[in-house]
Amino acid sequence: MNSSVEFRNITKLFPGVRALDGISFKAKGGEVVALVGENGAGKSTLLKVLNGDYQADGGQYLIDGEERRFKNPQEAIAAGISIIYQERQIIPYLSVAENIYMEEIPTKGSKLIDFRKLNANAQSIIDEFNLPIKPSAKVKDLSVAYQQMVEIMKAYRRNPKVIAFDEPTASLSDTEIESLFKIIAKLKAKGLIILYVSHRMKEIFQMTDQVVIIKDGQYVTQIPTKETNEREIVKMMVGRNLGDIFSELDRNKKKDGIMLKVENLTNDYVKDVSFELKKGEILGFAGLVGAGRTETMRAIFGADKKTTGRVHLDGREIHIKAPEDAIACGIALCPEDRKEEGIIGGRAIKENISIGILKKLTKRGFVDRNKEINLAESSVKELRIRTPHIEKKIRELSGGNQQKTILARWLAAHPKVLILDEPTKGIDIGSKAEIYQMTCDLAKKGISVILISSELTEVLGLSDRVIVMCEGRITGELSNEEATEEKVLTLAMADMLGGNE
Amino acid sequence: METKLKGIAKMEQIGLIIAMIIMAILFTALTGNKYIQVDNIINILIASSIVGLVVIGESYLLISGQVDLSPGSVSAFSGVLVSLLLSKGLNMWLAIPIVVVVGMFIGYGNSLMVNKLKFEPFIATLASMSIFRGLAYILCGGKSIFVQNQLFLKLGVGRVFNIPIPVIIFIFLFIVFGVVLARTRFGRNVYMVGGNANAARLAGINAEKLRAKLFIMTSALAALGGCILASRMSSGQPSASEGLEFDAVTAVVLGGIAMSGGVGTMGGALIGLFIMQGFNNGLMILNVQSFWQIVARGLLLIAALSFDYIRNAKRSK
Ligand SMILES: Nc1ncnc2c1ncn2[C@@H]1O[C@H](COP(=O)(O)OP(=O)(O)OP(=O)(O)O)[C@@H](O)[C@H]1O
Ligand SMILES: [Mg+2]
Repeated sequence: MNSSVEFRNITKLFPGVRALDGISFKAKGGEVVALVGENGAGKSTLLKVLNGDYQADGGQYLIDGEERRFKNPQEAIAAGISIIYQERQIIPYLSVAENIYMEEIPTKGSKLIDFRKLNANAQSIIDEFNLPIKPSAKVKDLSVAYQQMVEIMKAYRRNPKVIAFDEPTASLSDTEIESLFKIIAKLKAKGLIILYVSHRMKEIFQMTDQVVIIKDGQYVTQIPTKETNEREIVKMMVGRNLGDIFSELDRNKKKDGIMLKVENLTNDYVKDVSFELKKGEILGFAGLVGAGRTETMRAIFGADKKTTGRVHLDGREIHIKAPEDAIACGIALCPEDRKEEGIIGGRAIKENISIGILKKLTKRGFVDRNKEINLAESSVKELRIRTPHIEKKIRELSGGNQQKTILARWLAAHPKVLILDEPTKGIDIGSKAEIYQMTCDLAKKGISVILISSELTEVLGLSDRVIVMCEGRITGELSNEEATEEKVLTLAMADMLGGNE
Repeated sequence: METKLKGIAKMEQIGLIIAMIIMAILFTALTGNKYIQVDNIINILIASSIVGLVVIGESYLLISGQVDLSPGSVSAFSGVLVSLLLSKGLNMWLAIPIVVVVGMFIGYGNSLMVNKLKFEPFIATLASMSIFRGLAYILCGGKSIFVQNQLFLKLGVGRVFNIPIPVIIFIFLFIVFGVVLARTRFGRNVYMVGGNANAARLAGINAEKLRAKLFIMTSALAALGGCILASRMSSGQPSASEGLEFDAVTAVVLGGIAMSGGVGTMGGALIGLFIMQGFNNGLMILNVQSFWQIVARGLLLIAALSFDYIRNAKRSK
């Protein structure tokens, strides 16, 4: 059995960046090895070197003690390396089953696809994962979380020797994370080598055996998870002590007047949603994935149609038909799906930041380039976006840094209402603390914030009030003092448990 | 820092400029010095000016992730229409604006198909390509309409400071649209919608309105081109400008504007246009049989697309 993966002095250069600078460590079969480090530390790059997507500029990697060098991911897959990328790689217009069996679609005698077999095979994997999705469903119709699950099933199906997860839980909620962990435990018991990248400390302690810390592309240390603790890891990652993030926040205490009032909002996804948001308040939305939080916000923002419902902003009824109307009124939405709805991949960081407020940077139709550069430079500094310069294409940034850039876009907008949908997805723990404080600072300036997050600790820690949704409806509301994980979860599953209606 | 970056941006075009220079040297050698001559360069410029107007439109469209196949037909239709209006005795200063406005409506029609009926731009404009070619024939009963209006005829062949008027019009418009694309918010939005329409929409850009403007603009430019061509030929001919859109797209892609949208510059498109027209002109001087010229144009398009492919592969590395 005893399989292993070993990295020796791996180096990888990109223009202006040393992404990896002499990484060496070893992972053994039957172990889950966590890779941790700040945004841009080089974790994803290391995985892409391992599966032949990138070629190392120096060093080598050994699999079962034998040096390998994969020229492309196909070779790596054939050798039993499966990687679940940080950015989704599935094909939205194909079905779940077709995605899972991508390169090995079963065929009948001739070359026709054997759909029955395909769907049956896929169903058995879906059952193993215990998920409520159909093999024939189109992937584009699934929520981000389920799309992620499809990706995991695709990797799992290949029966790999090494399986690497690059921030798999970034868009999953707790129950889904539970089922993912069960799968990982199963894989581990089978003796697979598991590499696991995550910014969520809780998970690292819950299910990994070893921790490898990377900082600025360099190897820091490898320690058994049991022999360390969160504070120590964070310190090695970030280079300083982080106290209790939430209790140290400087919050806004003065909340007066209603900023946003939503009445009976209804469309295909949500039913009869009503709530109020005070000026300077941070209002959390909790719920399971698919509870309708994102859909509620999209309807308010004009990204989706609403069938009925009224929205009042600052005492006046507003009629929003498209996102541009919402932005003009002073409502901003930082969307959940970074790749599809956030980044404009081929364009510069600078342009990706300024796009939301370009109107304000324009004089007589012409973009004021100095103002734009100043905005981008200061955003990069404030959010510590790791990049050699602001002209770099956003797609070449690490995942977390892309997220920071999109966040910068909307923080710069200074709206009346700022809706943040999974704002810290993929962001490292040190930056998270800073972003939380920035959010509180905005609230102090009287900006109202709506926060959606699948990380319950984040919702509970940051919000003044929490609204819980389930299956498209609001099932409860809790103040900061009364909100606990159990109470939220009970409300989040209200419809499924109580079965009302 | 900024100047250094500009240097990098220009690097992308350096390959093109080198290609253009090599081509010029080759043709100069092959034609025994007949290639780089003031007169011949002006010939190339004249040939570039009408396609050039469409190149402007297609550059914007391709960057925004669209394409328009109808400019050739719209241009022919407009040429016939303007000749008809002039032959009815209409003043040229009225006739040309009318034709351009008609062009704008055609573009608006294209945009409705794309925005409201959700047709692929390729299909929508394929339809109007056929419709307006047909209408051009119907309008003139299949025969050319000759123009007597002397002022109008000046438009195509007249010169100011020895520079042909079509060239002046083209260069003027090219600079205006080039600056708009590179420097204004409107231009920026074109890139953003082409880069990721969904994200651009959520960032507050009205992609449908933008598309409508671009289709309107492209058809209007094609209509203007049709008027200039009619003036040069002193007649409106329903068969004119066949394949104009393909020439324009060839030039644009050659100039580094990707079919996938979101990248490229007008400067690149201009170089692409000069390479293409310079190539055609060289073959003409060399007396290459005109059928072979058509073949060569296809080969050039393949070269342009492979260039695009290689560049894309490099980009995503
Ligand atoms: N294709 C690329 N072109 C240029 N630079 C790149 C490219 N991919 C990654 N980089 C750079 O390499 C560095 C490491 O990136 P990587 O994606 O490995 O970080 P990461 O540790 O996965 O971060 P995150 O936690 O944000 O996902 C970053 O500075 C990034 O900008
Ligand atoms: Mg990463």
